Amino acid sequence: MQTPRGTKDYLPPEVERRHYVEQKLREVFKLWGYQEIRSPAIELVEVLSTGVGSELIDSMFKFQDFDGKIVALRAEMTAPVARIVTTKMLEAPMPIRLFYISSVFRYSQSYLEREREFWQAGVELIGCNTPEADGEVLSLLASSLRKLGLEGVRIDVGHAGLLKDLLRATGLDKEKKRVLQDLLGYRDEDQLEKFMDENNFSTSLKEVFLTLSRCRRLEELSSASLKPSKYGRTENYLRALLEVKDALANYGVENLVFFDFSLVRKIEYYTGIVFEASVPNLGLPLGGGGRYDNLIEKFGKLKIPATGFAVEIEKCLRALTAQGVQPLEKRKIKILVASRFKDAAIKTVEAIRGAGVTALLDVTRGSRKEVIEDAKRSGINYVVFVNSSLEKPAAIYDTQLDVVRNMTIKAFLQSVEDDQR
Amino acid sequence: MKRKIRIAVPSKGRLNQPSIQALQAAGINILRKERTYVSETSDPRFETVFARAFDVPIYIQYGAADLGLTGHDVILERKADVHELLDLGFGKCQLVVAVPENSAINSINDVPAVARVATEYPNLCRKYFENVGKQVEILVVRGTAELAPRLGLAQIIVDITETGETLRRNKLKVIATILDSSCRLACNRIAYRVFESEIKELLGKLRSGRMLTK
Repeated sequence: MQTPRGTKDYLPPEVERRHYVEQKLREVFKLWGYQEIRSPAIELVEVLSTGVGSELIDSMFKFQDFDGKIVALRAEMTAPVARIVTTKMLEAPMPIRLFYISSVFRYSQSYLEREREFWQAGVELIGCNTPEADGEVLSLLASSLRKLGLEGVRIDVGHAGLLKDLLRATGLDKEKKRVLQDLLGYRDEDQLEKFMDENNFSTSLKEVFLTLSRCRRLEELSSASLKPSKYGRTENYLRALLEVKDALANYGVENLVFFDFSLVRKIEYYTGIVFEASVPNLGLPLGGGGRYDNLIEKFGKLKIPATGFAVEIEKCLRALTAQGVQPLEKRKIKILVASRFKDAAIKTVEAIRGAGVTALLDVTRGSRKEVIEDAKRSGINYVVFVNSSLEKPAAIYDTQLDVVRNMTIKAFLQSVEDDQR
Repeated sequence: MKRKIRIAVPSKGRLNQPSIQALQAAGINILRKERTYVSETSDPRFETVFARAFDVPIYIQYGAADLGLTGHDVILERKADVHELLDLGFGKCQLVVAVPENSAINSINDVPAVARVATEYPNLCRKYFENVGKQVEILVVRGTAELAPRLGLAQIIVDITETGETLRRNKLKVIATILDSSCRLACNRIAYRVFESEIKELLGKLRSGRMLTK
């Protein structure tokens, strides 16, 4: 019996590693005032498809509900959040800060990148289109990843609207636009110039492309012309990026943030800044996000701007492993209580649990030797053979040191508590 | 986070030697200790790993290697999302459609309504025949597509040819060219951002090395 392709079971040690990441992220998100939200794993396909673009729609697991409606497993969380905000939270004062830690599902050909079921942790800051909002989300992304213990975190920022408008201004067909986008990614000025000459770019458009593809930092964008331009809303977008840079200034994360003119996300709803977070030890982005000011209105009538990001739990774990960090929660002591005096045994486990330490009750009726053997294999630190009453000294077996000590439960608990500290 | 930049090099086949030489000409000598997994190089910033040319794009896409040398044909076939930074100029070949010399098929238009094609390149093959509006059944083979017509496995093959010699020896004729290929330097997207200056320096050296050998 196997699990379906692209899914897997998570056994206790793996779940513990995941908890470490999830708890750390949850902690940071909450400290920044974000509130957790949950949504169904299955949604109507038209909800999930809104604004995300055909590539993501094609990757959704779709099936028919009993009433004939087509439903799908959520492939990302922003569309469900947009639906929730539009249908259930319109009364809430804006901006709304929400976060989620959820499984999402996508068909994929390759499991090297991710499973078909994978976990995302993300935030959405809804109802605000200020650069401060973008700055907050970028800074929160950087702090969250640092909080996990990751080093060398970098965030590359692009702008969906800027690239789109400038690509439109070229008048190239779809195929050539793709070539141009590749060239921008290669950051090869000679090839880029050659391509632009061959395709009769105007001098001013050439200049814009060359300047933007040279910029590696947001502040360098000030070198790009801010004159009212004929290329869509280019000028506004550039100004917005510079304002985001200013908004980032006081968070102490500016040095992690880079500009990449060629950056695009696979999901289509982005309208403003887009970004990806990565570390040098992992060849795939840990996650990313951006501003989507036109998505929420597709669910209702109200135009509500928003920005957010998601990171993949699995990738964070892989990055931590690649950096040699063992993502484990503080090791906790486990105690097994065994006794033929049931009443005393139950009182003892309750006393230990009351002190905040994990206690298991032996339920096997095994011999002393068997109980000790099993305890060793199960990662139990101490086995307590309690006497007829808690006041009488109990035999306490230390599985690591292989020694037995006789002490009262009270004295033992005291020593465990001291140990834990 | 300082670490070495890892280059994937074809472990065997026609791209193996020229790849090693190209790197050498760019100042990267592989200090190859037999068949170790990762080899140090004369440039302390780089290390190399040997991989099948067919796997190099996947190594790069998923970050097992930052850079790699492999054929343009293979990058397209594996649908790898990588940056193709440089045409290294060697390993020139073509992906062609070929049929037995005595076949009545002389062009793509002659391909019958239902035909079987043997190939190592199912993705490029499917895309090509879809584009020309031909329905074909694709038989994926490893390495010996040119034998398929003689064994009666397929009437048509799609395969790589350099000089046409192997095709001629197997009494096959080319009826169409799908794509021109050569060896490329490909790069992981994130690695290119993180190590841009080192990689650009290498690109420059590979370019000048290429000119010298010409």
